[in-house]
Amino acid sequence: MSSLHEMSSVSRRTLAVAIFTFAASVVLLPWIGPSPINLANVLHRQAPDCDIFIQLRLTRTLLALLAGGALSLAGSLFQAMLRDALATPYTLGITGGASLGAVAVIAGGWPTIWGLPGTWFGALAGAFSVIGLVIGSSLHSRRISAFSLLLTGIAINSVCAACIVILGGYAGMSRSFSIAHWLIGSIDSTSYLSLAVLACVVMFLGAMILLQARSWNLLAVGELWAASRGVRITTVMRTGYIAGSILVAATIALTGPIGFVGLIVPHLVRTKVSADYRILLPSAFFFGGSLLATCDTLGRVVIAPAEIPAGAMLALIGGPYLIWVIRQRKPLEEA
Amino acid sequence: MNHVLAIDDLSFSHGTREVLKLATFQAAPGEFLALLGVNGAGKSTLLDILAGLRKADSGAIEVEGRDQRQWKPRELAQRISHLPQAVNASLPFTSEQLVAMGRYPHTDRWFESEEDHKLIQSSMERTNCWQHRHRTFSTLSGGERQRVLLAACLAQSASILLLDEPSTFLDIEQQLHSFSLLQEESQRGKVCIAVTHDLNLALTHCTRILVLAAGVVKYDFLPSQAHEDQDWLKIFSPRLRIDRTSAGAPWIWYQ
Repeated sequence: MSSLHEMSSVSRRTLAVAIFTFAASVVLLPWIGPSPINLANVLHRQAPDCDIFIQLRLTRTLLALLAGGALSLAGSLFQAMLRDALATPYTLGITGGASLGAVAVIAGGWPTIWGLPGTWFGALAGAFSVIGLVIGSSLHSRRISAFSLLLTGIAINSVCAACIVILGGYAGMSRSFSIAHWLIGSIDSTSYLSLAVLACVVMFLGAMILLQARSWNLLAVGELWAASRGVRITTVMRTGYIAGSILVAATIALTGPIGFVGLIVPHLVRTKVSADYRILLPSAFFFGGSLLATCDTLGRVVIAPAEIPAGAMLALIGGPYLIWVIRQRKPLEEA
Repeated sequence: MNHVLAIDDLSFSHGTREVLKLATFQAAPGEFLALLGVNGAGKSTLLDILAGLRKADSGAIEVEGRDQRQWKPRELAQRISHLPQAVNASLPFTSEQLVAMGRYPHTDRWFESEEDHKLIQSSMERTNCWQHRHRTFSTLSGGERQRVLLAACLAQSASILLLDEPSTFLDIEQQLHSFSLLQEESQRGKVCIAVTHDLNLALTHCTRILVLAAGVVKYDFLPSQAHEDQDWLKIFSPRLRIDRTSAGAPWIWYQ
């Protein structure tokens, strides 16, 4: 029995734990909240427990699980593409573009379009403009490099942040409050239609990213390392960029930008479980979903009846924890 | 002779600086070529072009009788493996995971097969780094890293090995060990091309010496012919002298 076998059996066990945690979150978290819910009432479809459970708590938990998973997956992906442990779903400028689109829709006052949240269309339009810009310029230079992606991302984020401030100024009192609320990043109850669309998008793009896991391993070492082992770098980078960007845009349209989950989860999985993307990507998805759903649940309980948004809750718990983990490491292991 | 690698009139420029102009040579199975030259002579650039990592401005490269550009990236990687001069040292991967990446072009399997594991283990044992398999790459010393990278190169089981300074960071025992290993590989029918600055290591282990200067392969000779025309030594330093060891092998020293 070779050692990589032993190692990967440990990693596979962790993956099983991640999936179990995810499933347990679906089953348990919707029961927790400011008002108690009786199981018998839900089973007998009695109001208001049944409606609160089905329409509010369950959709909210499912959205948190999907969003946390998608953002952690995207964060891990961008860390491989940029070979930068500090890359987040924010880093590539997608969040900037998507946020600007969503904020424009809120400022314009279109809460729903065709039964789906208006922010969705705004965020996707914003994200596609950024993708078009980045891929368009990479077609011209026939190359897509980590460094240029990073710089372009920073530039786009600053321009979009400036535009968001300007839009907020013109939006008026109540709409600029909605904009501020959206920008903090929070999980709210949503329709099953939105959830179904998001689930399809996440599953399709997640599978696309996961299937390239072996290539991400090589790209995380270096572009030349990957190229000399037969990875089609430009194709893989381009599809990864597009898939990751749409994944982020589709998610944050419903939740607002919660980028921190995409930094902390991949980092913890990498140090505690495995740097191997075949294990890291699925583990990050399942742990990220469970973490965000747990934070959201805590946020609606700790100061009930008021709520702490999931994004803020995550920052409050995750920030100090990440600092603690980093302080635990020996200097040599520093990435 | 049956060449697996043939380079014809290769040219390459960095901006306005011509690095290679009309470089030409061939290599047959069983040859271990030392690629020598001063800093900036274009040795690494030449290896990069052969490995398909850079595109030449003009000229032709044939790999196993077929134009290099006709091979798909993956097919090329099954035939050519490249040891880079350096990789990012702060990688989070374990040594074994890095070596396992050499199997990438050979399989579509999600996880490595039993056979892959055997190859990974034997490659790491041959370069004396199997004992470091669980260690994270960033915690290894320079020499240990170099041995892991060489193992990754071997695990790729290519017929052509391009090695950019394989002996850097190694202690003398390990330098001799890695060059003997490459000698073994070429005796098994592979082609090894190593860039090195250690002339004695090249003369004692390689089957042929190529000296790159002014963008061309200026000298191309067997180690046993090293004494005949000593002009090639002047490229490196006017202070170099060539002698023989008691066993009759060429030996270079400086005044």
